[in-house]
Amino acid sequence: MSAFHRNSSYDGHGDYPGYSGSQNHTRSHLKTQDHLELPGSLDNSGFHHLRSNPYSSGSRTNPDYPSSVAEADYPGSLSNTGYRSPRSPSFSAHSRTRPDYHESLPEPDYNDFQSDPYCSESSPEPDYPGFQRHSGFAGIRRSTNYEGSRTNVGYLGSLKEPDYPGARGSSDNPGPRASSKLPGSRRDVGYTGSRIGSYPDNLGEPDYPGADSQPNSPHFYGEPDYPDAEEGHSYGSSKLGPLRRSNGKNKDYTDSIEMAFMEMAGDPTNGYVNSAYERGSSPVCAVGNLLLCERDWHTSPQGQKLISSLIPMTSRDRIKAIRNQPRTMQEKRELRKIVDKEKSKQLLEANCCAQCLSSLSLAYRRSKGNLSELLNYISFWQKTFKVIGGKFGTSVLSYFSFLRWLLKFNIFSFVMNFSFIIIPQFTVAEKNTLQFTGLEFFTGAGYFRDTVMYYGFYTNSTIQHGTSGPFYNMQLAYIFTIGACLVVCFFSLLFSMAKYFRNNFINPHIYSRGIAKLVFCWDFTVTHEKAVKLKQKNLSTEIRENLSEIRQENNRLTLNQQLTQFSAHVAAWLVSTGVAAACCLAVYYLAEYNSEFLKTHRNPGAVLLLPFVVSCINLVVPRFYSMFRLVERYEVPRQEVYILLIRNILLKISIVGILCYYWLNIVALSGEECWETLIGQDIYRLLLMDFVFSLADSLLGEFLRRFIGTKFITSLSLQEFDIARNVLELIYAQTLTWLGIFFCPLLPFIQMITLFIMFYVKNISLMMNFQPPSKAWRASQMITFFIFLLFFPSFTGVLCSLAITIWRLKPSADCGPFRGLPSFIESIYSWIDTLSRRSGYLWVVWIYQNLIGSVHFFFILTLIVLIITYLYWQITEGRKIMIRLLHEQIINEGKDKMFLIEKLTKLQDMEKRANPSALILERREVEVRPQLAWDLRLRRSMHEENPEV
Amino acid sequence: MGNKQTVFTHEQLEEYQVGVGVSPELAQLVWDAGSQESPQSLVCDIRLSVWVWSDWRGKRRDNPEASWFLSPQDCTFFTRKEIMRLFYRYQDLAPQLVPLDYTTCPEVKVPYELISSMPELKDNPFRQRIAQVFSQDGDGHMTLENFLDMFSVMSEMAPRDLKAYYAFKIYDFNNDDYICAWDLEQTVTRLTRGELSAEEVTLVCEKVLDEADSDHDGRLSLEDFQNMILRAPDFLSTFHIRI
Repeated sequence: MSAFHRNSSYDGHGDYPGYSGSQNHTRSHLKTQDHLELPGSLDNSGFHHLRSNPYSSGSRTNPDYPSSVAEADYPGSLSNTGYRSPRSPSFSAHSRTRPDYHESLPEPDYNDFQSDPYCSESSPEPDYPGFQRHSGFAGIRRSTNYEGSRTNVGYLGSLKEPDYPGARGSSDNPGPRASSKLPGSRRDVGYTGSRIGSYPDNLGEPDYPGADSQPNSPHFYGEPDYPDAEEGHSYGSSKLGPLRRSNGKNKDYTDSIEMAFMEMAGDPTNGYVNSAYERGSSPVCAVGNLLLCERDWHTSPQGQKLISSLIPMTSRDRIKAIRNQPRTMQEKRELRKIVDKEKSKQLLEANCCAQCLSSLSLAYRRSKGNLSELLNYISFWQKTFKVIGGKFGTSVLSYFSFLRWLLKFNIFSFVMNFSFIIIPQFTVAEKNTLQFTGLEFFTGAGYFRDTVMYYGFYTNSTIQHGTSGPFYNMQLAYIFTIGACLVVCFFSLLFSMAKYFRNNFINPHIYSRGIAKLVFCWDFTVTHEKAVKLKQKNLSTEIRENLSEIRQENNRLTLNQQLTQFSAHVAAWLVSTGVAAACCLAVYYLAEYNSEFLKTHRNPGAVLLLPFVVSCINLVVPRFYSMFRLVERYEVPRQEVYILLIRNILLKISIVGILCYYWLNIVALSGEECWETLIGQDIYRLLLMDFVFSLADSLLGEFLRRFIGTKFITSLSLQEFDIARNVLELIYAQTLTWLGIFFCPLLPFIQMITLFIMFYVKNISLMMNFQPPSKAWRASQMITFFIFLLFFPSFTGVLCSLAITIWRLKPSADCGPFRGLPSFIESIYSWIDTLSRRSGYLWVVWIYQNLIGSVHFFFILTLIVLIITYLYWQITEGRKIMIRLLHEQIINEGKDKMFLIEKLTKLQDMEKRANPSALILERREVEVRPQLAWDLRLRRSMHEENPEV
Repeated sequence: MGNKQTVFTHEQLEEYQVGVGVSPELAQLVWDAGSQESPQSLVCDIRLSVWVWSDWRGKRRDNPEASWFLSPQDCTFFTRKEIMRLFYRYQDLAPQLVPLDYTTCPEVKVPYELISSMPELKDNPFRQRIAQVFSQDGDGHMTLENFLDMFSVMSEMAPRDLKAYYAFKIYDFNNDDYICAWDLEQTVTRLTRGELSAEEVTLVCEKVLDEADSDHDGRLSLEDFQNMILRAPDFLSTFHIRI
């Protein structure tokens, strides 16, 4: 097909040296057909095929001659044989072969050949000793004929090589060679078809200096083992020996072949064609000739379209758009230059104001670039991440990036708290009279009670140094700082959640157990050699499992089995909720009892009992839950993971909930002095105990497990990193931190340190005790789920309990910034009152009264939000329908295409039968027909001819 | 790295960089307005950079086309620091081949053998394809720009469509702009290190085509591929090479 295109363009070049020759070939057809009647050699039967094939006539391959003529380094006989082989289909019409021979091979024998061109085929051997010398050629040619028209077309592609010297050639080459590994792969219909399909596009490019790049091809065609591997499978019988050899070689997976080929194929000086180019730009472009390049951009319609679409954009969008183009850097640069030129033309016409604006935007962008660079410095652990990713893949890495993300949260909260609450408090701090024993690190009580760590230490006064200096209202600072922290957390959570949802749940309803995802989602982060091998092994197991699942899809469970399974699920749920409820009750009564117990006993270590029990529950119960899997036996592993997660989060959240209830309803109302500090201490102890437990778990449990797994019970081997459980621990700790931030402003700092240590401990433990996960884990989906969990029960729960604290509870009378007030929020009310008495701040009062404090405003706002939500919902519904329709349309288009192709083929077949001799004359007409007709026709002919072979 | 005296011009770095870029005219405007910004080479040698600066300006005044390579623009998703780091990686691959002074934009290529020996690519089953797809001539030999291009696409910041496009190129072994059954077989063989039997491989390919080929032409076009990638959210994080 492609050759046809070229042929037509070829007509224009009357001065082509090979052309006249090729025209002769069409004439020669009749002659060659006569030859068929000559006492047949094996070859002849093969030729018959080709001849009967209407498109195999000389005209098709003619255009290739000029290119082969241009090949200078061809004379080597060995490479010659190799080179012939792919070309042989086109040579099958002898007439065509002839001129090529005489140009590219300056051997005397071929002169004979040329002088008597048309006999060569029918009685080749005796008459042409020179020809015989190329024994490989003969064999291969024969085999090609077996193949009939299929290989013929396949090779048309590779014959067209001049257009794509490096890229196409290099990829074609390993292709066929490697295909010998897989018997029958070449029989695949898609192969030939797809090759043909792409050629016409490339042909349309007039800029390619075909002859120039041609020298590439002899290199790889000349590869010694090429013919074997290439032709071996298809033509079998005569070539079995070498075929096996090449098979063995390929199975070894050695790189040596690849390398050799890479070296051969690549001759950097031979013009510039990047395979990644979509619309190939001219080689000249790459060399840097700007003028030519610009013309190139302007001439190609896509280029023009692109440029015109880029010009009206703002510079930021333009940069983004250019950067996202799948082009090489040089191309992007050209593109950018052109667009800038166009833009500046417009700009110069514009007034100076626009210029000022654009220079301003430039400065802004520059500073933004610097800022992002600065932020990048903060992204620590880059190296560690790389190592973890290299050894364990993305899924385990997601735990660590989640950890780092939380760490950033806490750093932010700490910086806020530190600068707006703690530093001002330091300036007025009283001397701490309590003694320090060391146990305070665990209990958080004693010495720490009178430090900036807890709510109770902060002053309620207005800090003012000097009589006339600026003053700092501690009450407002406290409430606003913590409020701002939470608001920022809220929005960043919301945005990252939205981002993850957008990325990962674009089309959630078409999730299937996709084998395609397994195939195309190789984890490129994995770089460690062992990990790669393990991953490959795991992947093949998984693919196998997937396949067997597909095969046995119809195996339904019997009713009895279903019933047992259902009852197992119900029982597991009952037991797990029962255990969670029992834990909650236990924690509640323990807490109540503990507070009474503490009143009578003054042992400072006794306060550790509650956090110890809670941490024990958190350690033991999840492991108990994960044992349910032995009973439940979920078919889909993902289901199992989700169920386990839900149970665990239920447990943890209900424990935190019951503790909240205890704090807000019992501790806060008990009338103790400074109950806020008590709550803060409780949370501190819980957090610390949790940290100690996970530390111990990592250092002792995991190491012990490895010891047992490797030394005693080797069948256990190394364990896999349980991402879900570990992430849940992080979520639990973060919930406690948020909960405690009001009572203990330094809590983010403590959490920061624990996370920091945890990172290193987990990292070390991971490297020593674990092996990479065997299942492909939907990392990004899971992370989305985790962030959602962090947002929904955890952060919203914290917000609720803090809201109750601030609006409902009465602050303790003698300590903390809010002492003496009826409620925490009263501080804001009184502030507004003060402001309303000053004329300068009336706008704040107005905002407060009409927006924040007004019920009507919120009512209207809610209404508007609801309306907008409803509209968006309707829009998404509409889009869903649209997507479905479009999908159906795609399928229908495909069917249409197949139908048309079939019709065309039938038509052509009829034509062929009716008037075989007219074919050559109608050649042009055929050219116009869609390439797909060729595609299908060839596939058909292949199917028809295969049995004959 | 302190002892290495590498010089990129300010503009060259900007070209590679994110978010920073100006048209020559605008840049001229800013400089003429007396902006204090002086282009410094990132890794010191102020004298040379001053020279480059003056040289650059001189060139610009005389003949804007002569300094075409300086026309600032941004082609990668990297910051300066990352570009410098990548450059050092590149330079370390072939210290005798790649000069440290890049102000003159030397035409240097690092051969495939060295590229594929990088720890990031060494064990990647698709290393050869990656190198081919991103190299200028499709032969795996890479210039600095190709190198930056490669890691830019493989970076975290690159959008899904760009990644999908190049992933498609990588899996399209015969460069025919379609992933056909043969390409799939190649992919599967590489993924599984030849552990699956031929029959299984064929079955896998059939299944993949079955799943992803929405127009039923027996091969995957770029659109099919992108559509399928949309359904595989992990793709974004896994098609990523850390540097």
